Amino acid sequence: MPLNENEPVPGLCLDKLSLGYGNRMIVESLDLTLPTSAFTVLLGRNGSGKSTVLRACAGLLKPKAGTVLLDGKPLAGFTARESARRIAILPQGPAAPEGLTVSDLVRQGRYPHRGLFSRWSGADEEAVREALELTGMADLREQPLENLSGGQRQRAWIAMSLAQQTEILLLDEPTTFLDLAHQAEVMSLITMLVKSRHKTVVAVLHDINQAARHADHIVMFKAGRLVEQGPPGRIMTREHIRRVFDIDPEIVHDVKTNARFILS
Amino acid sequence: MKSRRILLATALLSVPALLLASLILGDQTISRADLASLLDGSASVQTRMIVLDLRLPRALMAFTAGMALGIAGAIAQAVMRNPLAEPGILGINAGAALAGGLVIVGLKGAGAALLPLAGFAGATLMATFVFILSWRNGTSSLRIVLIGIALGALAGAGCSFLIAFADVADVQRLMIWLAGSVYAADWGALGLLVAWLVVPVALACLATRQLDLLRFGDDIAASLGQRVNLGRALLILLCTAISGATVAACGLIGFIGLIAPHVARKMAGAGHARLIPASALVGGLLLMAADLVARTVMAPAQLPAGIVTALIGAPFLGYLLWGRRHAAQ
Repeated sequence: MPLNENEPVPGLCLDKLSLGYGNRMIVESLDLTLPTSAFTVLLGRNGSGKSTVLRACAGLLKPKAGTVLLDGKPLAGFTARESARRIAILPQGPAAPEGLTVSDLVRQGRYPHRGLFSRWSGADEEAVREALELTGMADLREQPLENLSGGQRQRAWIAMSLAQQTEILLLDEPTTFLDLAHQAEVMSLITMLVKSRHKTVVAVLHDINQAARHADHIVMFKAGRLVEQGPPGRIMTREHIRRVFDIDPEIVHDVKTNARFILS
Repeated sequence: MKSRRILLATALLSVPALLLASLILGDQTISRADLASLLDGSASVQTRMIVLDLRLPRALMAFTAGMALGIAGAIAQAVMRNPLAEPGILGINAGAALAGGLVIVGLKGAGAALLPLAGFAGATLMATFVFILSWRNGTSSLRIVLIGIALGALAGAGCSFLIAFADVADVQRLMIWLAGSVYAADWGALGLLVAWLVVPVALACLATRQLDLLRFGDDIAASLGQRVNLGRALLILLCTAISGATVAACGLIGFIGLIAPHVARKMAGAGHARLIPASALVGGLLLMAADLVARTVMAPAQLPAGIVTALIGAPFLGYLLWGRRHAAQ
C-alpha cells in the first residue's frame, strides 16, 4: 500500500463505512481498500453484509456514515454517469423486461457512454461485439433472453457489464444457479479480465473453494465486520473458516497446483 | 421477423382504409359519386357538411386521441415495469371523474361546458398526489401502483357520492362524458388537442433510451448511470400531460393504453425507439375503429366509443392474463 499522504489510493477504498436499511445497521465502520487489477472475493455467511458492501461500492446504497472513495475522491461527488463509466455492478439474479434479445440487453451497457441524444457509434458497436465475443455469446446475440438457459442468461448479463467498459467490475454471486461447466467458464473469464485486461474485479461468492482457487485477495466478513483479509494462501486457514462460517473444515493442500481445498 | 413486417404493413394500410370507411359509413351512406363530387368541388352542401365538418374531424380526433393513449400506455408500462399497467394506474381517470362530478354538482348545467377543463385538472392533480404520496427517499414502481389504485378507489367513491346529489340530466351528461366519446369533435377541438400534444409527444420520442433502461428496475438503471427518480418523475409528467389532454378532449377511454403497446410489441419489438411510434399507430387505429363501430352498430343511436373499447379491452386483458398464467413469481 502506498502510504504517501499526497498520493491518493487508486481504485475503491472504503473509509469508516457504515451501511444499513432503515434503522437496521448491517455494516459498521468498515475500512477496506480493494486492490486494483486484482480479483477480490468477499466471503461470509448469508446476511454478513457482503452484498450490501458491494452495492455501496457502486453507489447504489447511500452510506449511513463514512465514505466510499474512488481514486481518493468521494464517490458521492461523481455524477451517476461518471461513476457508471468507472464502475459496473451486476446484482444478484438480475431480471430483464420481457421480449429482449441478448443484443438488446448488452447494448444497454453503452448507456453511460452516450450523450443524451447522440447516435449509436462505432465505438459502441465495437464494445458490444467484444463483450459478446468474450462471453461466448456472439452466436446467440439475436436470441430472446427467454429462450436461453440459466448459464447463457448469466453470461449475457456479464456481457452487458463488460460493454460498459469500466475498469472496476462488481459481481454479486455470478456463479449461483450455474452448472459446474458454466461456473468454470465464468471463473476463467474473470481471471482473463484481471490478468490480461488489468480490470479490478470484486465478487461475492458462496463457494469457498472457488474463492480459494481463483481469488488474488480474499475479504472475510462476519456479522457486518471484517474478520480477515489477504491472499488466499494466508487466509484460507482452518481457524478463519471456523470463525467465519461456523463449520469445522478439513483443509487439503494440493502440492501440485498449490491449491487448497476446504472439505466441510 | 417476417410476421412482424406483415403486421406492420397491415396496420399502415388500415389507416387510409379505416379513414375512408369512417367518411362513407353512417346514418347516411356516402356514395362513390358523392366522394368524387367532394374532390371536384361540386358536392352538395349537405354532403360537404356530413363528410368535411362531421365525419372527417371526428375520425381524425379518434385517431389522434388513440395515438396519444397508445403512447401514454407504452410510457406507463415502462415506468411501472408492469405489462398490465396503463395511464389509469396513475389515478388519471378517477381524478378526472371526480373533478367532473364536482363541477357538474357544483355548477349544475353550467358545469357541462367546463368538463374538459375539469377533467384535465383532476387528472393532473391526481397524478401529482399519487407521485408525492409514493415518495419516500425516492419513488418505486410498486409504491406508485399501490397508491395509484388506493387513491383511484377513493376518488371513484367520491365521484359516486357526488352523483347521488346531482340533477338527473347533469348526471346523464357526466356519464356520457365519463364513458368516453368523440361525438362532439370538430376542427377547433382537434386543433387544440394536436397543439397540446406536440411537445409531450416529441419529448416522449426523445426519451426512448430512458424508457428502455428504466424498465430494468432501479438498481440496474442507476448502476448504468441513469438518474432514476428524476427520469421517472419526468416520464410520469409526460404520461399525465398526454393522457390528461385526451381525457379533456374525449373523456375517459379505457383499455387503448393497455392494449396498443402489446400489439405494437408484436410488430416492432420491445425497444422504445420503435415501440412508441408503433403504439401510437395501433392506438389510433383501435380508437378510430371503435368509434366507427360505436356510431354504426346501433344507428341511429350512437354509443360512446369508450364502451366499445371496453368491450374489446376486457377480453384482451383476460387473454394477457391467460398467457401469463405460468409466469414465474
